[in-house]
Amino acid sequence: MNKLIKLFGKVTLLFGFLWMFNSCSKDPNSAGYEYMPDMYRSPAVEPYVDYGELRGRIQKSVSNKMSVKTPPKYTIPYFGTNKEEVMLMLPYHRKPSSTSAVTHGLVEWDFSTNPQGDYDYQMAAADMNPIKITAENAEIILKKGKDLYSVNCKHCHGEKGDGQGSMVVSGAYVGVPNFVDKIALSDGQMFYSIYYGKGAMGSHAPILNKKEIWNVVHYIRSIQNPEYGKTNFMSTSVTTIVADSTKTTVK
Amino acid sequence: MFKRIKSVIFGSLVLLLLVNVNVVLAQGEALYKAKCMACHQIHKDGTGPKLFEVRKKWLDGGANAESIYTWVNNWEMSAKKDPYAQTVSTWAPIAMSNFPELKKEEIDAIFDYVDAQAPVVAVTPEVTDNEVVVEDKGPSTWFWVMIAIVLFVIVGVVSKVRRDLKNALSESKSGEEFDQSYSMELRTWAWENKKLVGLASLIIVVALIVLGFMDLNSIGIVENYQPTQPIEFPHTVHAGVNGIDCKYCHNSVTKSKTAGLPTVNVCMNCHKQINGRTSVQQEKIKNIYAAAGWNPEGAGSYTGKTKPIVWNKVHVLPDHVYFNHSQHVVIGGVDCKQCHGDMTKQKETARVLPVSELNEIEGNVKLTKPTLTMGWCIECHGEKEIHNGPLNGKNNGYYNEIHKRLLNNDKSLYDKYLKDGKVTVKELGGWECAKCHY
Repeated sequence: MNKLIKLFGKVTLLFGFLWMFNSCSKDPNSAGYEYMPDMYRSPAVEPYVDYGELRGRIQKSVSNKMSVKTPPKYTIPYFGTNKEEVMLMLPYHRKPSSTSAVTHGLVEWDFSTNPQGDYDYQMAAADMNPIKITAENAEIILKKGKDLYSVNCKHCHGEKGDGQGSMVVSGAYVGVPNFVDKIALSDGQMFYSIYYGKGAMGSHAPILNKKEIWNVVHYIRSIQNPEYGKTNFMSTSVTTIVADSTKTTVK
Repeated sequence: MFKRIKSVIFGSLVLLLLVNVNVVLAQGEALYKAKCMACHQIHKDGTGPKLFEVRKKWLDGGANAESIYTWVNNWEMSAKKDPYAQTVSTWAPIAMSNFPELKKEEIDAIFDYVDAQAPVVAVTPEVTDNEVVVEDKGPSTWFWVMIAIVLFVIVGVVSKVRRDLKNALSESKSGEEFDQSYSMELRTWAWENKKLVGLASLIIVVALIVLGFMDLNSIGIVENYQPTQPIEFPHTVHAGVNGIDCKYCHNSVTKSKTAGLPTVNVCMNCHKQINGRTSVQQEKIKNIYAAAGWNPEGAGSYTGKTKPIVWNKVHVLPDHVYFNHSQHVVIGGVDCKQCHGDMTKQKETARVLPVSELNEIEGNVKLTKPTLTMGWCIECHGEKEIHNGPLNGKNNGYYNEIHKRLLNNDKSLYDKYLKDGKVTVKELGGWECAKCHY
């Protein structure tokens, strides 16, 4: 009987061996064998790595806290030494409405002190597009704007800006307005709406930087008016609000 | 005669009324879409409350008949006059725009159109193929282990009986005690069948060696890695049906080393409104709400209590490899599907697609080495053409300098590169060790 047990042990060992050979590659949750496992997990901070458990060392205090962090408040990203570029990329001087923490989740932002909800939105009408469009650079600006628009806006607002994007056509989303005929809307207000969100639309400040948003604003103007940028002209909405532009100071 | 005239008049009146109703509805639809739709849905609260039978709601709530029209023209004035309008004004922190240009008939036309829209019947769970997945894994491994154990016991018992019988037979023949052990019996048998046993053991040894080496080849290969995720995110619906660009959610792909997972506010740009048609979808979307701290009741509000979603990284490269997404996507113009496959068809959570599946995709550079291995990378670097040189018109200037230097410094080298009519990544240094390892 003793020998029987020994034999049985040997056979199970063999089976276990074969099983081991088979198993690792089939479990979708396993990344398979690693040649040098310690080279896969970097001790230097990399994005999307949980440093709570690194090389078998468990540190609960840093779990999911090391990467993808918000930059410290009031820091400004570096955008070279070109003055125009630096001025353009300075933090946006208009503040989100005081209710935007509740309506748009902008929880830790500096809010507008004006109790009137849309005060800053109304004031934004005075802002002019700092990227000047001329007949020479129009093609580059509008191409850049179109690229950004088709990635970030098209699925809701539609290729032609008529509010018939693929999200709306598929029936997943309703209530996207048509902005083709909203010529009276000023550039500054468009920027404000994209930056902080408006109505059902969320804030796009985390996705697009200021330069990109102004590019998109140029492109939206070219959807409204195919002649936009082709000749050196200022859009009507801009000329009417120039008088107010003295009030815009960078805070 | 008179009767006939009467009926004709009556008929034409009905016809007029019907035409009139249709005209009113069409006018109401146009006005609703132009003025109200962005905030007010018909049957569901959104940025503003739902509009279905809103006149009835106001009257039932005790409002004056005129208040609702004043509200549309100037809600603040209405809120001052009517206590019911006052309560409505506290519904959400977003103030409604005023529409002083709308006349009473036009407002009525809007409400007529809205009330004519039949309420949507609660959708019964759709049996779509990506919702109901029939679990068909077959019996688990433990089931087979149990069967194997049972079979072993049977084999053991039978052989024990056989051996006892055989021993008894030998004993009766020779007359002496006969107890041959298993191993002794096996040895005798093997000695009698030398050739067969030798050949078989040779085959087994060779097979084991070959299998062992084949298995060594799977070290460091992550094809088909598909970790479970906290939310079973269907790319088919988002990128496929709804046509959202990859770069909208993975928006750091053009700016940074990593493609980036969308922060929850990007999810909320749509999911603020979309909370799922089926119960399965609703359960999944509740996870996003918990993460964003969003309370969907009424107009909805952010509570500020957020909780990160812990996604599992799928495409992992070793620490000693440097890979930059923006370089490949912006400068190199590589499409996402070259490495990640067609995600518009990925029903389940993301997976490292094996190279055979990547090769099936139209427009991809065809490769042979397994996905995410070094061979795979440099194979592509050897094949892929650099478009952005002076060779053709698609010039974004990034490689101008290196092309200029090649032209000025060593013309013969450049001519050698151009023999096959294209300049590949390899020829511009894509096979240098320090490009990726440093």
